[in-house]
Amino acid sequence: MKPLSKEIVSYLEDQAFEIRRLSVEMIAYGQWGHIGGSFSMAEILAVLYFHHMTIDPRNPKAENRDRLVLSKAHGSPALYAALALRGFYPVEQIYQYCEPEGLEGHTNPHGAPGVETAGGPLGMGLSVAVGMALGLRRKENPRSRVFCILGDGELNEGNVWEAAMSASHYRLDNLIAVVDYNKVQAKGFVWEEMGIEPVAEKWKSFGWKVIETDGHDVEALAETFYRARWIEPSGSPICVIAHTVKGMGVERAEFNYKWHTHAPDPKTADEMIRELAKRYGKPEIGYSRVNEPVKKETFYGGE
Amino acid sequence: MVGNKESQTMVAEKGKQPIGGARKELRDAFADALLHLGELYPQVLFLDADLHTSTKAVVFKERYPNRFYQFGIAEQNLFGAAAGLAWEGFIPFPSTFASFVARRALDQIAISIAYPALNVKIPGSYAGVPTSRAGASHNCIEDLAVMRSLPNVKVADPGSYRDLFTLMEEAVKTPGPVYFRVARYAVPEFLPPEYHFTWGKGIRLREGEDVTLLGTGIMSWFCVLAATELEKGGVQAEVIHMPSIKPLDKDLVLESVRKTGCAVTAENASIVGGFGAAVLEALSESWPVPLERVGVPDTFVESGGTNELFQRCGMRPEDIVQRAIALVHRVKGKKR
Repeated sequence: MKPLSKEIVSYLEDQAFEIRRLSVEMIAYGQWGHIGGSFSMAEILAVLYFHHMTIDPRNPKAENRDRLVLSKAHGSPALYAALALRGFYPVEQIYQYCEPEGLEGHTNPHGAPGVETAGGPLGMGLSVAVGMALGLRRKENPRSRVFCILGDGELNEGNVWEAAMSASHYRLDNLIAVVDYNKVQAKGFVWEEMGIEPVAEKWKSFGWKVIETDGHDVEALAETFYRARWIEPSGSPICVIAHTVKGMGVERAEFNYKWHTHAPDPKTADEMIRELAKRYGKPEIGYSRVNEPVKKETFYGGE
Repeated sequence: MVGNKESQTMVAEKGKQPIGGARKELRDAFADALLHLGELYPQVLFLDADLHTSTKAVVFKERYPNRFYQFGIAEQNLFGAAAGLAWEGFIPFPSTFASFVARRALDQIAISIAYPALNVKIPGSYAGVPTSRAGASHNCIEDLAVMRSLPNVKVADPGSYRDLFTLMEEAVKTPGPVYFRVARYAVPEFLPPEYHFTWGKGIRLREGEDVTLLGTGIMSWFCVLAATELEKGGVQAEVIHMPSIKPLDKDLVLESVRKTGCAVTAENASIVGGFGAAVLEALSESWPVPLERVGVPDTFVESGGTNELFQRCGMRPEDIVQRAIALVHRVKGKKR
């Protein structure tokens, strides 16, 4: 693959920044969501949606499109942000995150063009991706690929390995799993909660080809996806293990399970976005709705 | 004639449905319908979890090897992959025993299939009590309660060969997820030749004034047998077969119990949350009447011969007779 031009690298990094910024906007305004797992896959989504995948926002169901299943569906803010930025729906729609008739907390295709599947319970997405990859083969569509982004903690789920077994059994080389290996799951470090190492060997022993990469380096990711699509396929599904940092971009969230599920208050959201802008060399910008009242959980009765 | 309740009722009465006749295995209806649908619809696929000779779907594998997918003993993946194939426009039949549908893979069915209302047709084989001595792990008694609680999912328990065959034809024509049971049991054909399964429609098999016997699945056959016995004792039972559990034919139930004033439900499943419970819900909201539920009491069903298990659970035709007589006696003061 030709190396990416400086302009493209910078463009993709801009998109990753915007994915993070909009994730904070949506989680802070919606008062629910997962910052750590959204930040860790910002570059992965930026490279897939703005460089690698064949997709058409004007025709989200085009037969020749690439499919992306977000198995770690709690990372929905990053996906919704990527799709909005890519033009599948207006960016303004992200402020309907977690509202009735709006963008669902965990992914749901209703009302969100570009979202392919419903998810939430971990471990399920790779099976759906296997079905899609089989379906593409039935339809004799050799061009499209099915991407499936999994979390690292998600690999605790037995369903993942059932799916992995069947993907290599059916020789699905049109299927590319991407493990967002951010080292932290909901309540602690992966190695403390339930160790998954040696993770590359696990995928290999299930009959997959494995490519490890830096999940925050857009050039490395672009090269990796190019290889996964054009060079590696030869009868085995491909697993990209993307080494990432949970909460990447904001110091207080990095490798910190306390920001797995946590909605910042407007002041904290403002600080986070300012920190992101500084870190990624952007003009100073803060949380756009810092002065709006925070949505409060209400209860019936009592004080 | 498709799903015309009135004319079905008429024919059933006029023909005085023959009691007895050749028994037909419901799994054979399943296999025959699969071949029939396979021929009509190229998008119909069969997904198996290492049970295709037990379920009798092996004939589909032999006829359409390229449309048969083996997923091994991995039911969670089976239903997830079915969702993926449905997203790509196919009509998958992911197939395993009912107990593994309703217990093992419920999360996958709920979120990957039911929530986005995907076009997946789910047979639950070996449903209920008759499972050839396999015991509590395989005697699936909770699937009706579990599956009918899932939004977007239609649920049916067909009672005869004709019922299951036409149900499967209907299921493929119905968009969205469908769960239907396939009992490992054989019954004579108790439905008229022009019968065709229709969602939300029951069929009156026999007119009567004293008590309504509401059956689903193979238990409707037991209701027919029970009604014949009841008649000998002077109790005129109305028999209604209701294969469509969700949606339920509330109008037909109400129409009948307004006349008879009491009802017995019969199901090859737990009485907790199943068909009888669905009937009770419908009646309680509009016209409550005294009602007895025949089915598996709140207990696991352990190994045994099928007749023995039906006896243990109080599900035989004679049990329905006894429950109906006691009910009629209680409600109307009638003597035996």
